[in-house]
Amino acid sequence: MGAVTRPARRPEGDPGDADLVARVRAGERGAVDDLYDRFRRPAFALARRILADDTLAEDVVQDVFLTVWRDPHAYDGGRGSFASWLMAMVHHKAVDAVRREESHRRRQARAEDDLALSAPTSARDVEDDAWTRLVAERVRAALGTLPDAQREALTLAYYGGYTQREVAALTRAPLGTVKTRMLAGMRRLKEELGAVAGGTAGGALSGPAAVDGGAR
Amino acid sequence: MNPRDDDHEPYDELAVGWALHALEPEDETLFGAHLPSCPRCARTVAETSEVMSALAGDLPQAEPSEGLRDRLRAAVEQTEQLPPPAGADLPADVPPARPSGATAASGGRRRTDAPAATGFPGYEPPAAAPVPPAPTAWRRVLPNALVAAAVAAILALGTWNVVLSSARDDAQAAAAEQAQVLDSVLQPGRATIAPVYRDGDGEQVATVVAREAQLEVVTHGLQVNDDSDSVYVVWGMVDDSPVALGTFDVVSPQTDLRTVGSASTGLDGYVGYAISIEPGRQMPSEPTDVVASGQVTS
Repeated sequence: MGAVTRPARRPEGDPGDADLVARVRAGERGAVDDLYDRFRRPAFALARRILADDTLAEDVVQDVFLTVWRDPHAYDGGRGSFASWLMAMVHHKAVDAVRREESHRRRQARAEDDLALSAPTSARDVEDDAWTRLVAERVRAALGTLPDAQREALTLAYYGGYTQREVAALTRAPLGTVKTRMLAGMRRLKEELGAVAGGTAGGALSGPAAVDGGAR
Repeated sequence: MNPRDDDHEPYDELAVGWALHALEPEDETLFGAHLPSCPRCARTVAETSEVMSALAGDLPQAEPSEGLRDRLRAAVEQTEQLPPPAGADLPADVPPARPSGATAASGGRRRTDAPAATGFPGYEPPAAAPVPPAPTAWRRVLPNALVAAAVAAILALGTWNVVLSSARDDAQAAAAEQAQVLDSVLQPGRATIAPVYRDGDGEQVATVVAREAQLEVVTHGLQVNDDSDSVYVVWGMVDDSPVALGTFDVVSPQTDLRTVGSASTGLDGYVGYAISIEPGRQMPSEPTDVVASGQVTS
């Protein structure tokens, strides 16, 4: 996966990320500051969406960047972009936090809202740059192409932090159906989002041609 | 070798659920065992992570408080980095950092906190493989303490390496490395074993394994030294006068086997051993700062 096949990303995109990771690995504390500048907003936005609490979300964001500092070698450049790895960690830690913090009762109450919110959001900050708006529009359009049940399953898991069994209960579907919907939905999103979703290929989300192509 | 799509479909589904951190515990266990040996699933997890990252782009962007930057700076200031995994390039001018926790703690944190290398945050590596039984006669004559030290070393190395990288190649390299350590410590022949305890808190930080003409130290808690201006020295204790036997460096705060460079023989003839840290790279005639010591137990 060379630079040539890299999809268009943010103007300051991947080479800059690789550079920052290298600096963190070399023990340069200031590089964490730069990483923070680059990723704090999407990281905070995601954590806040999952946790619905700014304080908890900030704790998660701090934990994520501190983890990157402490163990920068945990990221393997051979698999996917640094940005997606970092955001996956934000998601993971935020979901862990929401499962820790939320009582069962509160989760049930919120589930109703989450179901209502499983339609894509449209709120935007005025200061969003053109790239952010473009991504958001692509994502919204892509989500819009999904059958409702697939979109619901994915957004409940991703934005809501629900497990597959919880999603099954919330959507009154068998667990196996939820699993199938998530895979099918991800395949469709990957196809729709194309370049926006990164250049990784060869897995179950790619077309048959790329399957088991052996390239890493 | 390549599974047909429909055969593999259940794992494709699990891979997506794994990346979403949405699997039930039983599925997580199942998939955690499958993932390390399946490049296709590793790619599926990476692909799903990329899509998830794009989905985050559809959230209302928001600015964390200015205080968060300061708190992060302060936390980074107080946090040492974990050492790079075996085989990673370490810039020559960067001294190895020592993590604050002990082996088990840091290993555990890697497992639970940090996403593993391929971006599957929930990845729990399988437990280190048990040491294979060696049904040869010499194995039976090895002192238990020696076997215990070797097993501790293998297990710690195994866990450490496996959690650092779930990539298959690295796991194989780690296995080879472990075999080497095992062979080295468990080589046939008489050996003298001395656990050594840290001065001050009495915690065991190393095991000295001495043979007639060979000295090895299994370290498990000695501080990493700066090999440009300091060195560890092993001392043999005779009565009250220590004899400098050889030098070694500690390059990892994790359990590690270090071979001690020594020109002496009769290395196994002492009643006790001590380890000191010395400025410069030479063995002095008397220890400057003894960090640990202990008596021979076998």
